Amino acid sequence: MRQGYTPLFLLIAVCVALAFCSPFWGIQLISPFNILQTGSPDAEVFWRLRLPRTIAAFLAGAGLSVSGLVFQTMFRNPLATPFTLGVSSGAAFGASVYFAYFHVGAAIGFLGSLGSLGFALGGGLGSMLLVYLLTRARGGFSTPVMLLAGVIINFFFASLVMFIQYLSSAYDTLRIMHWLMGSLTDLQIARLADLFFIVLAGACILWRLSPELDLLSAGEELAASRGVAIRRTKLLVFVIASMIVGAVVSLAGPIGFVGMMIPHIARLSLGQSHRLLLPASALLGGVFLILCDLAARLVLAPAELPVGIITALIGGPFFLWTLFRANRQGEMV
Amino acid sequence: MIRCAQFSFAFKTALILQDISFRLEKGACLSIIGPNGAGKSTLLKSLLRLHEYGQSSGAIFVGGRPLHAYSQRELAKNIAYVPQGGGTGALTPPFNVEEFLRLSRYPHVSRPGAFGANDREKVEKALHLTGLTNLASRPLNTLSGGERQKAYLAAALAQDAPVLLLDEPTSFLDPKHASEVNQLLKTLNREQHLTMLTVTHDLNHPLDAGGMVLALRNGRQLYFGPAADIVGQGILEAAFGHSFTYLPHPRSGKTVVLPD
Repeated sequence: MRQGYTPLFLLIAVCVALAFCSPFWGIQLISPFNILQTGSPDAEVFWRLRLPRTIAAFLAGAGLSVSGLVFQTMFRNPLATPFTLGVSSGAAFGASVYFAYFHVGAAIGFLGSLGSLGFALGGGLGSMLLVYLLTRARGGFSTPVMLLAGVIINFFFASLVMFIQYLSSAYDTLRIMHWLMGSLTDLQIARLADLFFIVLAGACILWRLSPELDLLSAGEELAASRGVAIRRTKLLVFVIASMIVGAVVSLAGPIGFVGMMIPHIARLSLGQSHRLLLPASALLGGVFLILCDLAARLVLAPAELPVGIITALIGGPFFLWTLFRANRQGEMV
Repeated sequence: MIRCAQFSFAFKTALILQDISFRLEKGACLSIIGPNGAGKSTLLKSLLRLHEYGQSSGAIFVGGRPLHAYSQRELAKNIAYVPQGGGTGALTPPFNVEEFLRLSRYPHVSRPGAFGANDREKVEKALHLTGLTNLASRPLNTLSGGERQKAYLAAALAQDAPVLLLDEPTSFLDPKHASEVNQLLKTLNREQHLTMLTVTHDLNHPLDAGGMVLALRNGRQLYFGPAADIVGQGILEAAFGHSFTYLPHPRSGKTVVLPD
């Protein structure tokens, strides 16, 4: 809750500048003067490919960071992320089921582009529910038990995804594998609106809960004694965060580490107030993923790397650094 | 102000509190004593509905209303809590002292950002009363155990509730600071008529503070009555299974308890 909004305004300025530059940049630079000329190939590439992709990257990064932030707060642990809690792999399992069994066949074709979204949301919420029930079964709602349950659920769903891949045709297996790496390549523009709505609405509700989140970061007992309705707040936060993760995963695959790194960096630079942290994490996460996606487009050009590989390459060492730092200090940074 | 009527609390098959009944008027001062595991902290937490799990029976009334009729936020406007081990440093909240106190205004602040002049005033007053004004910008995890315990007390005071629950509020304080805090609590009790329920292992605390005593053993109520009456009645002996000597203090003349 550090006073002063100067760092936030600076952050916003840099983020907006980078976000605006990104769609003009690629294998081929696009001149801003060409994008308004109808029929020009540059305009086509800009409006149909690069801009939607940049927006998708921003929304996915923002969504993952915001949900990572609230998971870290709820568990008072910097290693609690959509990944470690099994939400990502639950959503990935849901979407894999859709890709393997419902995508090509017309069984539930009427769901159209919403199909993988629905399945991923179902998978994400389902895994959260399983984690919750496992924790409940131990007679409490303790953080270590819940983290452990998350790790177990994560493995469980990851195995199920492998099982589905094993049973699928070679083509579907490849599709699922590519998607599991986290990619913004095969983007359905129609899906951007769903993602936009879910991320924006979710982030707004979470922002409204920022005083409760501040208190929860001081511990559940203390939060309850200060008047926070713990069970209701936690349920709401978990459902919203899981839905955001589900929506992102259904569009872009399980992109890792963004939900862990970005909130952590935001905390280090802005303090603990969720009123600031939530918008800052959303912005930082969005821009981070835009830049990672840019790198994914450029590193092996003209081929494209899945963006999940880039985030994992940066995130892995960061994860270790956080772990050692957390161990040294014996607490959440 | 607070009434417990045959209150019992069980966690799974373990009966932790059994038939606890007492009544406290506004401005009363209650010391809750008993050996480790007697259910003292559980009783305090039950008054704030901090137990998410477990079954309770009987009833607790706060200000004449049953506990379950309160929302958690309304309850926090009426009861503030200083948890046990505020000074242990385990999972210290990641805030500085002033931020930590500002969080206590949650029950009074209706939406994010609505922190007003009145809230600021309450925070400053709590800092001043506990002598923490100079440490306001220090992160909690850089404070000594005693200072941190004071910060927890200050946070509860900033909550501005008529009832204060204290779970061993002086356990991490040196004799000088413990005496200062006890003096502050006495003043708050007398001048602002705060109702106080204090869990303590310091058996001289109830004798010094006066008021009422609730003695527990194995979750059962052994005694509820005036503090002065615990002297020489075998109450402490029954509660702790240990013998005690009662002596007049050479200077003040007040009775002091010494374990044999």
